[in-house]
Amino acid sequence: MKTMKTLQTKTERVFSVSEFLDFLNNILIPQQVVIQGEIGKKIDCRPTYSIFNLLDKKDHTVLKCFCWQDKLENLGIELREGLEIQVLGHPKIYKSQYGSNFEFEAEQVLLVGEGVLKEAFDALKRKLDKEGLFSLDHKRPLPRFCQKIGLITSKYGKGAKPDFEKHLGKFGFEVYFYDVRVEGIFAVNEIVQALYWFNEHMPDLDVLVLIRGGGSWESLQAFNSEEVARAIFASKIPIMCGIGHESDITIADLVSDVRASTPTDAAKILNENWKMASINILEIEKNLSTLFKKVLENISQNLDFFEDYFKRTVKKEIFTVKTGLESLIKNLDFNFQNYFKEFDILSKGFKDNFLKIERLIKNKREETNKIQSDLQKNKDWWCQKIESFLKAERAKIVLSSPYFRLKQGYTITLDEQGKSIKNSEKLKIDQTIKTKFYKGQALSRVKKIES
Amino acid sequence: MPEKKLNFSEAYKEIEEINEWFQSEEIDLDEALNKYERGMELINNCKNRLKEAENRFEEIKKKYGEEK
Repeated sequence: MKTMKTLQTKTERVFSVSEFLDFLNNILIPQQVVIQGEIGKKIDCRPTYSIFNLLDKKDHTVLKCFCWQDKLENLGIELREGLEIQVLGHPKIYKSQYGSNFEFEAEQVLLVGEGVLKEAFDALKRKLDKEGLFSLDHKRPLPRFCQKIGLITSKYGKGAKPDFEKHLGKFGFEVYFYDVRVEGIFAVNEIVQALYWFNEHMPDLDVLVLIRGGGSWESLQAFNSEEVARAIFASKIPIMCGIGHESDITIADLVSDVRASTPTDAAKILNENWKMASINILEIEKNLSTLFKKVLENISQNLDFFEDYFKRTVKKEIFTVKTGLESLIKNLDFNFQNYFKEFDILSKGFKDNFLKIERLIKNKREETNKIQSDLQKNKDWWCQKIESFLKAERAKIVLSSPYFRLKQGYTITLDEQGKSIKNSEKLKIDQTIKTKFYKGQALSRVKKIES
Repeated sequence: MPEKKLNFSEAYKEIEEINEWFQSEEIDLDEALNKYERGMELINNCKNRLKEAENRFEEIKKKYGEEK
């Protein structure tokens, strides 16, 4: 009889295949490491991922690597055979029905080797330039006097941080330091994170200073990454970069608002306006006192001039008025004298005329009196004369009166109406006629008419 | 009442403007007096600010991936 043998292990657990692979992956995946090697011949590029071999140049050992496509895009160049790279990632067993494989999943890929780095640099530079990330239109000027500074660099670096801090003048700067790795495969993420952190938590900073000391071109690669370039471009706080030596110009330098050639230079740029101001302020103080003194002197001179001018003008004016008044008085006096003379003449003339009139009146009165007297004298003579005239006339009238005729024996014959009859032809037979005599009258009847 | 914290940049700009104003030809005495007093006050404030200007350094403790 066959007895069932139990495999003796430390644990009593029996895995299924899949469970075992999961068990292994649980151990493998947390093992994050960086591996450097050369890309081998076979590269399987798919739209979303790539699979390639990483080759050890010494013993030609090969490690199968898996990488998502977006991680490779950041390289700036295509994967190709012979390319030296550093890969950050973890080991993993890919479970499959066709045979599970051990592979290395790359989380981040970094190019190594100056030639290839230069190539990637040029490609990224062209790309970002085309997008306008280096355009001067996007450059923001730093505030004239930067005071609050966000400093992004490594505290372990040999030169950058001490150089920057040493050369920063004592102008009351407030430096907020964010420690990041500035080299290696972790640098990019940390720098990007620091840029975002400052923008989010301290948006009122005057400037962000991103610096790194000198090193090989390879060691500056974090500052040639697209992620860092885009984070700099997106920053609302103005950014000054001082990377490497004076001759090193990284993509970060090109995107930044101000480029300092070195960390020391970055400090000097920040000092510059403060230094100038501390010198200028003394000069302005001196200048202002001199200018103010000059203003007072000018005003004093002007006052003197005006005082003098005023005195002279007033004196002249008084003289003119005085002369005018004198001349006026003289004229008035002269005119009054003339008037008085004229008045005298007029007065004398009037007096003469008055006397003349008086004499005339007297004469006229005498004349009137004489006439009156003459009239009185002539009155009697005239009366007699008129009386005799009237007498003569009366005699004439008496003589011509009808009564005087009647007296002489003449008669007057009248009709019934009393009208005198002068023509017998107007009489009628039997007509009664009245005959007036000197004394009395008689009525008679017409018997015969003879013409 | 505590004095308002000096804004060096604004104060310095005003000092420069006052200095420039004094260079002009037409100057009114009252204004000159006011501007001179203001200028001197700002200059003294700025000088004091420059005198006692020690730098302050502070390290951000927040690190990658952490929330404030």
